[in-house]
Amino acid sequence: MNWQLALPEIFLSCSAMAILMYGVFARPERSFVMSSMLAVGALLLTAMLVLSGTPGVGYNGLFTVDAYSHFAKLLILVAVGLGVVMSLDYAEHANMQRFEFPILMLLAAVGMMLMVSATSLMTLYLGLELMSLSIYVLAAFARDERRSAEAGLKYFVLGALASGLLLYGVSLVYGFSGSMSFAEIGRAMADPKTASPGLTVGIVFIVAGLAFKVSAVPFHMWTPDVYEGAPTPVTAFMGTAPKVAAIVLLVRLLSDPFGALLGQWQQLIVLVSIASMALGSLAAIGQRNIKRLMAYSSIGHMGYALIGLAAGTGAGVRGVLIYMLTYVFMNAGTFACIIAMRRQGRNVEGVSDLSGLGRTDPAMALAIAIFMFSMAGIPPFSGFWGKYFIFTAAVQQGMWLLAVIGVLTSVIGAFYYIRIIKVMYFDEPAPAFDPRPASLSFVVGASGLFTTFFFLFPAPVVAAAEAAAKVLFR
Amino acid sequence: MLFATAVFAPLLGSLVALLFGKQIGDRAAQAVTIICMILAAICGTSAFVSLVYGGGAPGVVTLATWVSSGDFSVTWALRYDTLSAVMVAMITFIATLIHIYSVGYMGHEPHGSVWRFFSYLSLFTFAMLMLVTADNLLQLFFGWEGVGLASYLLIGYWYHKPSACAAAIKAFVVNRIGDLGFALGIALIFVVFGSITFDAIFAGVSQHQNDSYSVLGGTFRAYEVIGVLLFIGAMGKSAQLGLHVWLPDAMEGPTPVSALIHAATMVTAGVFLMARMSPVLEYAPHAMAFVTFVGASTALFAATVGVVQNDIKRIIAYSTCSQLGYMFVAAGVGAYQASVFHLLTHAFFKALLFLGAGSVIHAMSDEQDIRKMGGIWKKIPLTYTMMWIGSLALAGVFPFAGFFSKDAVLEAAFASHGGFAQYGFWCGILAAFLTAFYSWRLLILTFHGAPRADKHTMDHVHESPLVMTVPLMLLAAGAVLTGFTFAPQLLGEHWQHFWGAAIHNGPNNHVMHDMHEVPGWVVALPAVVGLSGIALAYIIYMGMPALPAQLAERFGGVYRFLLNKWYFDELYDRIFVRPTMALARGLWQVGDATIIDGIPNGVASLTAQGAGRVVKVQTGSIAHYAFAMLIGVVVLVSLYLIIR
Amino acid sequence: MIAQLAFYAFAAILLVSAGMVVSARNPVHSVLYLVLAFFNAAALFLLAGAEFLAMILVIVYVGAVAVLFLFVVMMLDINFAQLREGFQRYLPIGATIGVILLVELGIVLGGWSLAPQSAGLRAVPIDPNVTNTVQIGRVLYTDYILLFQASGLVLLVAMIGAIVLTLRDRTSSRHQSIAAQLARTPADTMELLDVPSGVGTKGIGFLRPKVKEPAKVAQDNHGHIGHDNHGGHH
Repeated sequence: MNWQLALPEIFLSCSAMAILMYGVFARPERSFVMSSMLAVGALLLTAMLVLSGTPGVGYNGLFTVDAYSHFAKLLILVAVGLGVVMSLDYAEHANMQRFEFPILMLLAAVGMMLMVSATSLMTLYLGLELMSLSIYVLAAFARDERRSAEAGLKYFVLGALASGLLLYGVSLVYGFSGSMSFAEIGRAMADPKTASPGLTVGIVFIVAGLAFKVSAVPFHMWTPDVYEGAPTPVTAFMGTAPKVAAIVLLVRLLSDPFGALLGQWQQLIVLVSIASMALGSLAAIGQRNIKRLMAYSSIGHMGYALIGLAAGTGAGVRGVLIYMLTYVFMNAGTFACIIAMRRQGRNVEGVSDLSGLGRTDPAMALAIAIFMFSMAGIPPFSGFWGKYFIFTAAVQQGMWLLAVIGVLTSVIGAFYYIRIIKVMYFDEPAPAFDPRPASLSFVVGASGLFTTFFFLFPAPVVAAAEAAAKVLFR
Repeated sequence: MLFATAVFAPLLGSLVALLFGKQIGDRAAQAVTIICMILAAICGTSAFVSLVYGGGAPGVVTLATWVSSGDFSVTWALRYDTLSAVMVAMITFIATLIHIYSVGYMGHEPHGSVWRFFSYLSLFTFAMLMLVTADNLLQLFFGWEGVGLASYLLIGYWYHKPSACAAAIKAFVVNRIGDLGFALGIALIFVVFGSITFDAIFAGVSQHQNDSYSVLGGTFRAYEVIGVLLFIGAMGKSAQLGLHVWLPDAMEGPTPVSALIHAATMVTAGVFLMARMSPVLEYAPHAMAFVTFVGASTALFAATVGVVQNDIKRIIAYSTCSQLGYMFVAAGVGAYQASVFHLLTHAFFKALLFLGAGSVIHAMSDEQDIRKMGGIWKKIPLTYTMMWIGSLALAGVFPFAGFFSKDAVLEAAFASHGGFAQYGFWCGILAAFLTAFYSWRLLILTFHGAPRADKHTMDHVHESPLVMTVPLMLLAAGAVLTGFTFAPQLLGEHWQHFWGAAIHNGPNNHVMHDMHEVPGWVVALPAVVGLSGIALAYIIYMGMPALPAQLAERFGGVYRFLLNKWYFDELYDRIFVRPTMALARGLWQVGDATIIDGIPNGVASLTAQGAGRVVKVQTGSIAHYAFAMLIGVVVLVSLYLIIR
Repeated sequence: MIAQLAFYAFAAILLVSAGMVVSARNPVHSVLYLVLAFFNAAALFLLAGAEFLAMILVIVYVGAVAVLFLFVVMMLDINFAQLREGFQRYLPIGATIGVILLVELGIVLGGWSLAPQSAGLRAVPIDPNVTNTVQIGRVLYTDYILLFQASGLVLLVAMIGAIVLTLRDRTSSRHQSIAAQLARTPADTMELLDVPSGVGTKGIGFLRPKVKEPAKVAQDNHGHIGHDNHGGHH
């Protein structure tokens, strides 16, 4: 048995535990910053281990390393790293400097890495729970704030319900196919004509459970409340890495073991995707709180990513991966800007608080403008390319209607993204924000550069995504 | 090399001004951008001359590989043929003049912010050059969106004016709707041809003649669908009927912007696209009929609206709309050469009119309403002369440039015999009459009669500085000369020699030949109606100044209908804007009373924003959310069992 | 025969007691029914030949978990009437959804039949040659070691979460700091004044000691009311 396949995961969990020991014994004033630094270091080393890993299947077929999981893992590690860096400054101001914070993020990262490598329903479930449980705690981390505690509770209860749905689906699939392993399930379903309706109902339940994690309509209801209530770095974290993990997992699950049943789940994904895009773009228009607005925006983005899945081709999966990549950077950058919205030490979250930012802080305003243009899908920013690859994949499959709805909702979506730009540049200035700490400037700068200049060097990313997609569609 | 320099010099200027504008100051930023523009103009013009007269060979300048994945590969490359060379020469020349003019026009702006303006102007020029020199559709789309972005920035340049912000957003959103069509068109081209490089597309045209595509419940020839989709993109950028609403509002931007974007370059991008894609469009007769129809309707519609407007810039804006309609008529009947020729002459005389209007506005202390002008022709004789030249060219009076190009468009329309082409011809004739009428209405109300401005303003009326008038004179020279110098080359007997392979006319398309053999009355008619329009305007506004008001009162309904631009804005507001807003509001706060009644907000509401908005789906209650999820699952399972 | 009889007896009691866990009015009774359910489940395991699982179930669930439950239920004053009110309020819609789902699942499961090779497809077939303790050990620590360790991580996260969300430093308690006491000098605490005779407190006022208050341990600033009031009497 080739245990080294899971070396990055093992290393990351051991680092998390080592940092935990360090945190317990270190002096409380320094433990938070130090353990955050150590966490970033651990993430970097893990990324190197991922890069040097060789493909293979191990642990009795429970765990698979391939180009697809490589791509997803690297993206997840980068997203978690950005999340840790973003929380450095916020924690100081919000009084949540506890060393457990980065450790929970690391453990969530382990869960996500398990998810993207899972080739068994059990690995899938355990990875998902490891990730979710860590995030429940993180959402309630500012425990003395009512909103945070409530967000954590809400997410936990609804997440438990979603897990229940997922488990029920898993049990149905197990019952009807006789196996937990993806390969075996795939073999049992090779002929869609003889596939029992029980299997397809099982798929619906599993999709429901995973759709909750990616906050796709109609399982999205928690998103605005939890996004708003959770501490902002946690929201940023929730909005990036777990979404990647869940959507990557969903893609692998539907195209690998359930690939033969494409005709059966395609309609489902199309429906969920359209509903998400429509709700995400329309409901965001009236929002005043920027975190809620980002929640609806992420619902919409997940709708777009699902288009690529619905296409059911290698090009579609490639589109999903590129889309998630661009999404992570746009989102991380935007949230770093939101964290930097602070006046006299107090964080503000209203869209109107951005008024006149173009004059009080042109650099940050420019960054937000870039992220908003990118989210609206305006070339040459990276967000356009994500949408471009997704829509071409859909059009190649003759899914015109889906592509047209996608472009239409992105036109509507452009309205509220551009409204933010209008507020920043054309409204009377509000008082200036506090100076931005270097850690946030770093995240904003890195994400901004990536988002702006992606179009100059998309080839390596596209090639990597292509190689990853080939794993699922040979 | 020359060609690449012409394209990238403006980018260099823009970047320098944008990044260092604050440090080096306005003067230096202006100097840098203008030097870069002059360099670009020299290179652009010499590239044009060496290609057309110096026997240079058309080709492709490859810069770098852009995207390469599987069967999809795109490079950064510049296409060097007559069409792009003509466009580059024209754009760089006019943009340079506008840069210089802006130095004077923006002279009253507060210091320390004008660098931004020049940086945007150069950025816009670069994007436009990128658009016309693109070697593939993706790069063209890049330039297409780039000009959209730059125009958003420029229209909203005076961001403290709410109307400017609204206009910028409106321009952006309406353009996005057009882009939707364009993007889908590109996607379909990729599906049909397997490539988006022009060479590959044009090489494959004959193979895919009979490909069909099913959309909206019908099956159509793929070329027709592509043609219509591309034209929808062109409609957005070129402000054709239906998507024209942003253009008049965009006049909120500084006048040089109007001249550059809304007269000479960006709005003509749609026409350029038609010419560039001519090898495909030649085989899409129905799509082309649609183009002719929309173009002709726009020409007439915009001319009628232009007759009653009072804002000097809006009149010219509607006139632009109308002239763009002419260009599409020409493209629609297969006379792409005529349409590009009209594009070229129009760029000169419309930029001249806009800059002349800017000079008037400058002189009148920022007054734009022609009802409040009058009696100033002696005070600003140079501007007055320039406006005369521009109007003569616009009205198509011999020997000004507009005479040649407009005649060519109308002759081509008459010569191509189709039903839509005849519609185009007669709409064009009517519009030509109205064009002459409103041009002289503008001239007379602005410059003649009793002064209607207050005394303070009148005392300040002054001729613009040299930095503004010299570009005017150069443009005026263009408006006079481009007609008879270029007409024989572009449309004359040796047009094939001039255009080379840049524009493709199908084997059955003889319009380029037929247009020279139309009856004499067709040749004379545009000039006759033009002159009669001028005469009518002179009689009404010089002879009987009271008559217009009486007419407006007598035909109140028609007047208001025209004044309100056929109520397009109101219509869109009613049909699109309000329902979208209402739907947004609804989705967000639909009363859930019908589902579960009278439950207060459960757990202390996280959605604490509105005590007033008590009932909405997003109640904050865990139970409601859980039920929503369960209902979702049940609905999905039910659908699933039904679909199976 | 006897085994079958025993199976149905235990299974029946298991179902009834499980029903009572949810429906009993008194929470303590609920927990006791839960214990009964565990015992019957353990008996079923025994019947199936899984004696190790049966013993573990009794030791862990009955011995530890259920007892813990009992403590918690007794200590917390949960108002079940209130919970039930919510239940009744959502009953109609909940029941509707439930019934629809049940019908649909009925339709689906109606077409269910066991494949002939189903016995062989089981994830872990019973190996008659070794005891089931060994077999469980193999499954847990060899075949599914990855999942076992991942479960351990899940529990670790749960533990960290419980600690991080509830543990508080008692800021108002005063510990004896011997080092601080020893480091004190008379000058820190005493002040000598010349007091003229006959002046009294009216002339010089009361003097307060100069003792420095120990610095607060943490600067948690809100939300402590209700938890930390009892810190003072150490």
